[in-house]
Amino acid sequence: MTTTATDLEKAMAFDEAARVAHELRVKQDQRNRRARYLKHLFLILVSVVMLYPLFWLVASSLKPETQIFGSLSLWPEEFHFDNYTRGWNALPISFTVFYMNSAIVTLLSVVGNLISCSFAAYAFARLQFTGRTIWFALMMMTLMIPYHVVLIPQYVQFLKLGWVDTYLPLVVPKFLASDAFFIFLMVQFFRQLPRELDEAAMIDGCSPFKIYWAIILPLSLPAMGTAAIFSLIWVWEDFLAPLIYLNDIKSYTVPLALRLFLDQEGESAYGQMFAMSVLSLVPVVIFFVAFQKLIVRGIATSGMK
Amino acid sequence: MKRILARNAPGYLFLSPWLLGFFLLALGPILASLYLSFTRYDMVSDPRWIGWGNYEYMFTRDRRFWKALEVTFTYVAFAVPLRLAFALAVAMLLDKGLKTIGLYRAIFYLPSLLGASIAIAILWRELFSATGVVNQMLALVGIEGTDWITNPKTSIYTLVMLAVWQFGSPMLIFLAGLRGIPKDLYEAAEIDGTPRWRRFTRITLPLLAPVIFFNLVLQTIDAFKTFSSAFIISNGTGAPADSLLFFTVYLFNEAFKFFRMGYASALAWVLLIIIGVFTALAFLSSKYWVHYDNDRD
Amino acid sequence: MTKLTRRTLLGTMGVAAAATALPRLPAMAADRTIRHFWWGNPNRDKRTFDVIAAFQKKHPDIEVSGETIGWGDYWTKMATQTAGRNMADLVQMDYRYLFEYTRRGALKPLDEYIGKTLMIEDFDQGPISGGKVDGQLYALNIGSNSQVVTYNTRLIKEAGVEFDPINWTHEDFARVCEAVTKASGGKIKGCDDLSVYIEDAEAWIRQRGNEFYDADGNVSATVDDMSTYWQHWADLRAKEIIVGKERTLTLDEALAERGIIKGDAAMSAIWSNQVVGTQALMQDEVGAAMLPHLKDGKPGQFIKPSMFMSLSRDAKDVDAAIAYMNDWVNDPEITAILGLERGIPCSAKVREALAPNLSPVEQLTMTYFNAIQDKVAPLPLPAPKGAGEVRDSFRRTASEVILGNMSAADAATMFIEDAQSIVERAR
Repeated sequence: MTTTATDLEKAMAFDEAARVAHELRVKQDQRNRRARYLKHLFLILVSVVMLYPLFWLVASSLKPETQIFGSLSLWPEEFHFDNYTRGWNALPISFTVFYMNSAIVTLLSVVGNLISCSFAAYAFARLQFTGRTIWFALMMMTLMIPYHVVLIPQYVQFLKLGWVDTYLPLVVPKFLASDAFFIFLMVQFFRQLPRELDEAAMIDGCSPFKIYWAIILPLSLPAMGTAAIFSLIWVWEDFLAPLIYLNDIKSYTVPLALRLFLDQEGESAYGQMFAMSVLSLVPVVIFFVAFQKLIVRGIATSGMK
Repeated sequence: MKRILARNAPGYLFLSPWLLGFFLLALGPILASLYLSFTRYDMVSDPRWIGWGNYEYMFTRDRRFWKALEVTFTYVAFAVPLRLAFALAVAMLLDKGLKTIGLYRAIFYLPSLLGASIAIAILWRELFSATGVVNQMLALVGIEGTDWITNPKTSIYTLVMLAVWQFGSPMLIFLAGLRGIPKDLYEAAEIDGTPRWRRFTRITLPLLAPVIFFNLVLQTIDAFKTFSSAFIISNGTGAPADSLLFFTVYLFNEAFKFFRMGYASALAWVLLIIIGVFTALAFLSSKYWVHYDNDRD
Repeated sequence: MTKLTRRTLLGTMGVAAAATALPRLPAMAADRTIRHFWWGNPNRDKRTFDVIAAFQKKHPDIEVSGETIGWGDYWTKMATQTAGRNMADLVQMDYRYLFEYTRRGALKPLDEYIGKTLMIEDFDQGPISGGKVDGQLYALNIGSNSQVVTYNTRLIKEAGVEFDPINWTHEDFARVCEAVTKASGGKIKGCDDLSVYIEDAEAWIRQRGNEFYDADGNVSATVDDMSTYWQHWADLRAKEIIVGKERTLTLDEALAERGIIKGDAAMSAIWSNQVVGTQALMQDEVGAAMLPHLKDGKPGQFIKPSMFMSLSRDAKDVDAAIAYMNDWVNDPEITAILGLERGIPCSAKVREALAPNLSPVEQLTMTYFNAIQDKVAPLPLPAPKGAGEVRDSFRRTASEVILGNMSAADAATMFIEDAQSIVERAR
């Protein structure tokens, strides 16, 4: 009897608990949903602020020259697409050529950056050798020096090598890990990976290269993806190095070509410049959307560990 | 001997591209700029050795040098923490399983793609002008704005806003870092009933520390070296009334506008030392708050 | 998937590597090469590359490599190339930079070629002498200009105010500003705030019978010159008939930022070769007036070379470079391609040949230019090294007055001291 009573009590208590749990869950669901809506609302608001300038840029690129500065309205009175058609061929060389040039420089640079910087980062993050701290400090120093004062000595150096007016000064340094930003970025990510992985692999007789290639790189896809995106965007948009090292207009890259539209002191083609600026963003955005998957894929890998 | 070689060989082998680049391409120009900082050099005639002259002038007679320092430090003090906090907050919002995350991420990165172009300069001046969108918004809540960009007291904060608005790169790095935190840790904590704030301080912050550290160091270095945005928005002069005279803008004008490359090099080395001190402090402090997975035991 | 990407990547790399590694082959036909470097815009670049093509047709043995970039980046690249002793043979020069480059020895004098391979003896000597530094010609004038107060003809008409654009005074100017402001209910002001422009201050100083720099390169403008100038503009500002400080303080060279183009002022001060560019950014028709005169004062405004072509110290094939220079200012086909885009040519013959084919705005520029000939003062003495920095200091000090941080008189005292110490430091 007593047992049944306690059983009943137990059962009742269980039911009660289930009911309370259910209520809680419903409440939590509601709260979660509300939180999600709030979150979306916030994100959409931020998005509007983020997108406004892009709208403005696109709108300006569709206005005739005479209306860009006079009127404040965002919406063009009429749509002028000839900023795009005329802008593409406004310079002595067509933008087709500039895009090809930029594509070559950017592709080579990204590849160079990823290979050489991940090499250096692997050494700094995972390997023991004498002088590591000093080299690391020197590497950080190259990040800190204001680049305008090394511009001229660098130019003289490349001039002596006979590299001025070729793409070599833009590309070769990338294969020699010149951008310490990426090394440091990768170092931070590599160091987080569990050391037992290397040790186990070492015991299995793996060479350092094998460890780098088969363990470190696959586990660092989010970092490599981030580095690829940054490196592509920065090289694509870089204009200082092309400005200094490229003389022949046929070899100009897109950002350099955009600078040809503006003459602060005289005639400028603002509408066409805006139109070409908008177009110059397209490849970067496409690459960004494609490559951010790599960051997302990081979930699976980190789940494994 | 053989053992030393065997121990060091892999490290140096992997480091060799960087070493090659450092010695062949980077070191020369850096040393050259150090040498030039002790000369009077107008880029046309040969440099002339003047010892500590540039440094002496800088510290004893150059009022604009101190102004440039003040502007730059103010900027660093505001822009770096704000940008990092904003980037981290948004990254954490985006990290938690929203389906539309890719879209938001792309949208939030767009401003950073626009960089410091002429278009941005024109836009920024319109936004923050006396009759601009910002003041129209403020008027809605009953605040009377000022001419943000041309008022020397407020102009620098419009640049801080620009830096915060272009929070895309630290956000991406935070996101990549958050991806590296095993999800089961959060799940376990949730089951244990750990409150959200504690989950943040106990799981997110410590595990994200290496990435936070990276962003902190890099953003600080970048902020000290800020050039393009200040240059284009102030039309290259540091106007109004030198309130946007960032250190690098001053340095650039000294070098390329006033033909004082020697003096500019000296300025650069002073900035280098300042940044170096801050970075070194960050690295020293990191021993106490940044722990890597492999140092755990 | 990965394999595919890797292969495509390697393929592209191979092609690109081949493309970059190839040394630039000089064109086979030409055995002499010269480089010409200029700052420009799409219009100017097109014209200049056409000129190069026309020149090469006439001189198949000379190859000209044209190099161009916008004004803002031009001087950075130029300084870098100068430091590397790799200047283009021919470089475009600006009046403001001429003395800085010449006095430091970056340019070669042209005197020995005049009358032999450089035929400029029958040109207007005034504008030509603008390229002289310390008695030698270092820069060939490829166009002249002068200050202009451009005005929006519609706004002036709507304000119902009349003035003589060539012979007006500062009082007339204030009257026009007032009328425009009143007619628009204060929304549109009379003019940009010109108190930040040293070129306009210089005209003011000369109207008062003084000069900014003396022959020894010292600052000869007085505190009184400066304080009266800044006070004059402070008065206009107090009446709120010129654009407010929020627009002036970051205003610099960019044409697009001027009030006449933005639409919040009826007048802006520019250079005469910018009239065409101004009109291109506006819907209303523009007019051209001189800088206002001082009543019973001396002429202050001046005609100056807007652009030069100079022979650099790194020029190797000097004869080819001079031949190109000579055709640039004399050859009928080439001068026709160039038109007035870089300024008014110094050769009367060339001007005559151009006259029938001018556009209405170019016509306006030419008419203006002819009208001011006997109203202008001679070119000021060459500026000393450091003049560029004095210009910046001027703008900074003027800003302090505009902000109300300083009185015109205090600012004038500070600026004159500052300017003198700048030119002394640059020596």
